[in-house]
Amino acid sequence: MVDVNHALRSGPPAAVVDRDFHSGGAATDSVAELRASLGGAMDSGDPTMSMADRLCRACVDLLDVDGAAVSLMLDGSSQGTFGSSDGLSRQLDEFQFTFGEGPCMDAVREGPVFAANIADGAEIRWPAFVGSAVGLGVGAVFALPISLANSNVGALDLYRHAPGPLLGNSLLGGLMAADLAALPLLDMISAEAELATLGEDEPAWKQLASLARVEVYQATGMVMVQLGVGPAEALARLRAHAFAQGLTASQVAWSIVERELSLESDTERTDPGGRHS
Amino acid sequence: MSTDREHEITRAFVSIANSMADGADVVDLLSGLTSDCARLLDIASAGLLLADGHGVLHVLAASSERTRDLEIFQLQRDEGPCLDCFHTGQQVSVNDLSQETDRWPQFVAAATAAGFAAVHALPMRLRGTTFGALNLFGDKTGALAADDLDLAQALAHVASIALVTDKAASDKDAINQQLQTALTSRVAIEQAKGILAQLGNLDMDQAFAVLRRYARDHNARLTEVAKQLVSRELVAERLLDHSMTRRGRETTFKG
Repeated sequence: MVDVNHALRSGPPAAVVDRDFHSGGAATDSVAELRASLGGAMDSGDPTMSMADRLCRACVDLLDVDGAAVSLMLDGSSQGTFGSSDGLSRQLDEFQFTFGEGPCMDAVREGPVFAANIADGAEIRWPAFVGSAVGLGVGAVFALPISLANSNVGALDLYRHAPGPLLGNSLLGGLMAADLAALPLLDMISAEAELATLGEDEPAWKQLASLARVEVYQATGMVMVQLGVGPAEALARLRAHAFAQGLTASQVAWSIVERELSLESDTERTDPGGRHS
Repeated sequence: MSTDREHEITRAFVSIANSMADGADVVDLLSGLTSDCARLLDIASAGLLLADGHGVLHVLAASSERTRDLEIFQLQRDEGPCLDCFHTGQQVSVNDLSQETDRWPQFVAAATAAGFAAVHALPMRLRGTTFGALNLFGDKTGALAADDLDLAQALAHVASIALVTDKAASDKDAINQQLQTALTSRVAIEQAKGILAQLGNLDMDQAFAVLRRYARDHNARLTEVAKQLVSRELVAERLLDHSMTRRGRETTFKG
């Protein structure tokens, strides 16, 4: 039997996802619905749950998985689980940090991980993690990298009791959810930088699109030098500044590129005695 | 003079063909395409939009970094000839923008404010799929010579082929994958430009020139150099020093 997900590891997931859809009938509609449902889970829903928790819960509702968790792995910053669909998923995700091994670490380093059957003894990459996960009744684990400013800063982990690959809409939906998970990660990084972001009215997909602009990329590079931080943190700081000033990310980016604003001096102004980093 | 131009045109095609042969950097290739257009055609500047997997257009290359170009492009995401060209897959030629205020009110206002009077948008198309648009901006009204339009469309077409050629791109998936790679490269390059601009106190055009110069002199891919800068495997000072040294040497030769 061909393990589709294993084959995927060496290739670009997007291409394979597309191929799956070309063979299935009304794919476009269901893809649009999936996209809207995942985005909707981020935009609204149970206000007592965090954005990341809601996204994980939506994964379980919409995709062929039983659990989901989001973890952050940024060098020199916090690492750990900070969103999950339920207690078991959180525990599984935390195992990886306890053991220092697991699919989410590999996903951040090397790209998507698809372990469609961890119960058959053939999975040798993470012995300690697999032992514990199988003990908790997990049969399949998938980890999709979450990317910020072009660098992987975390992973969306998906768990299923029954072994088997992640296919079709479930795979595509997982990749979309990993895109969306960038937003709560950005908030998390901003909070690390003590520039917590305020609530945001814009839909999640629109927020993501607003960050994918030439001027934002250029400004991110400039902020990297101004603050001596990596790309993900630079983007988080830019976005946090935009929120604090009631501006769009693009407007702040223009001010930086035009050299009307430097986040370095901005930090000194708003936080005179503070020393970041 | 016309012989010079013919040489230039030939060189432009050869350079695209070469980059196909040796799998050159996509962003480098497309930046070259826009500056070729700006130089060879009777226009002020050129830009290139490519769509990602979701059909969202991104600016992938522009012949100049002028803020106004980009601002226009941003507006175009909502309306404008380049967007219409992308959606219909047909050339959109506007010889006098001031006549089109009803059609694209925001775009015409922004383009006029930026000093542009005419726009020609040409589809980037392969095997029935339109995946982007090459946009030519003129600073005076009037039609572009038919030869010039043909030449631009031919360059766009050859570049389209180059974009998808190094994979066996027989299907839409492979094209999408190539475009995704190109967009990812673009992010790294823009970030690297930002790093160099900040550290060397350069504008974005100069920063790109420094990046490109270093990549060429070290026979490295533009995207690779950019990624190394962003990940700090390569320190930005090295690129800036390299650029200074070269400029110094050239001045010495002249003097």
